[in-house]
Amino acid sequence: MSKNLTHVPYYPGCSLKTKALGYERSAMDCAKAIGFEMHEIATWNCCGASFPLTKDNLMGLAAPANILLEAEQHCQEREIDANLITLCSFCYNTLKRTDFAFREEPKKLETLNAFLKRQYQGSIKVVHYLEYLRDVIGFDNLAKMVKRDMSSLRVAPYYGCLLLKPQKEMALDDPEEPVILHDFLEAIGCQVVDFPGQVDCCGSYLIMRDPEKVLELSHNILQEANDYGADALVTACPLCQSNLDQSEGERRGSDHYIGVQGMPIFYFTQLLAVALGLDTEPHQFERHCIDPTSILSACLEDGAKPIEAKK
Amino acid sequence: MQILMKSNQSALKELELATGEIVSDCYQCGKCTAGCPASMDPSPSVLIHYLKLGLFEKAVNSESIWSCMGCLTCSERCPKNVSPAAIVEGLKRLHLNRMKPRVILHALGQEFLANSTQQAVVSGFRKFV
Repeated sequence: MSKNLTHVPYYPGCSLKTKALGYERSAMDCAKAIGFEMHEIATWNCCGASFPLTKDNLMGLAAPANILLEAEQHCQEREIDANLITLCSFCYNTLKRTDFAFREEPKKLETLNAFLKRQYQGSIKVVHYLEYLRDVIGFDNLAKMVKRDMSSLRVAPYYGCLLLKPQKEMALDDPEEPVILHDFLEAIGCQVVDFPGQVDCCGSYLIMRDPEKVLELSHNILQEANDYGADALVTACPLCQSNLDQSEGERRGSDHYIGVQGMPIFYFTQLLAVALGLDTEPHQFERHCIDPTSILSACLEDGAKPIEAKK
Repeated sequence: MQILMKSNQSALKELELATGEIVSDCYQCGKCTAGCPASMDPSPSVLIHYLKLGLFEKAVNSESIWSCMGCLTCSERCPKNVSPAAIVEGLKRLHLNRMKPRVILHALGQEFLANSTQQAVVSGFRKFV
């Protein structure tokens, strides 16, 4: 059976191999259930995490350029479509913007090629897992594969920043009123809670310099989702997940958190795995600060397939 | 005074060259400031105003540039296609080029490094050190 799965090259990045291992595993399991297989490119390096905003910073493009090169080689050797799938919003942003910069300014690519002593031909198309589901698989087809009743879950889609901005370069969705996660959640049968904080910043890498600010920003997002009646939040970014999750865990029980109690933060692939009837055991729910299993118990019990739910 | 003015002029040129932004394009509508989740103070539009007035040192020494998270809300909303986030990053870089890191790495502690998400640390290295 596995022979029929479409081979899609995949770039993980640093967080997916450590903090966000549950994100990677659930994404890979879901892919197999849907009909494609993510193959990690043979060699890869860190993408640098944040795209350099200053235009003269060519050094910042060297790392992502090297990844695009490796991906190109991977595809050429196997004679497959030159897609590169990513999960992390930061990686997606960095790789896609690098690719865009090379298309806009071929001189930059020339310089980088000379520096890396290799020739990137610009064939790689960087796609996010969500984008792949929407454009290649199709959300309506995805809906037909759902095996568990998710309708008891009220989930707020949280986009964050780098998945969508800058729109001109990312071209994934509207940066102020995006719908891709909404549509995804609808397809897998959740109740979607549209809330205004969906594109607000969680504090991002400021956690390294000013954790208090991150707590405040993350708290605002959680509080807002809670006010709009959400049971859980869903995100596509490992840093958003950990900022929101940790800030909720840290402030739980203090005066700041009167309204929000135990609202878990899911990766969208973790919910997808539940909906598709997969075994969620390897998806590391136990590593979340806010335990997500209790909220899932209803879906897991009603599921068409038996599953070793922890509860 | 004249020397000061001149050095300010060349510093602004350097900033514009590095970022690819044209500071004088800004017409101070304040949309960037209104949407800034970091509530920067001085705000992005005020920082740009400093630059336009030739108060380069005031801008580059503003504490608020270090609270920018690069979320790009300001750049996305600017009706004049200026990227305040890029200008702020340019200011940070000029500051760091003077050898003043904003985060002292050994002060971060093992606990922070063990518990934090890798991408935050990598970004932090790029923006604050």
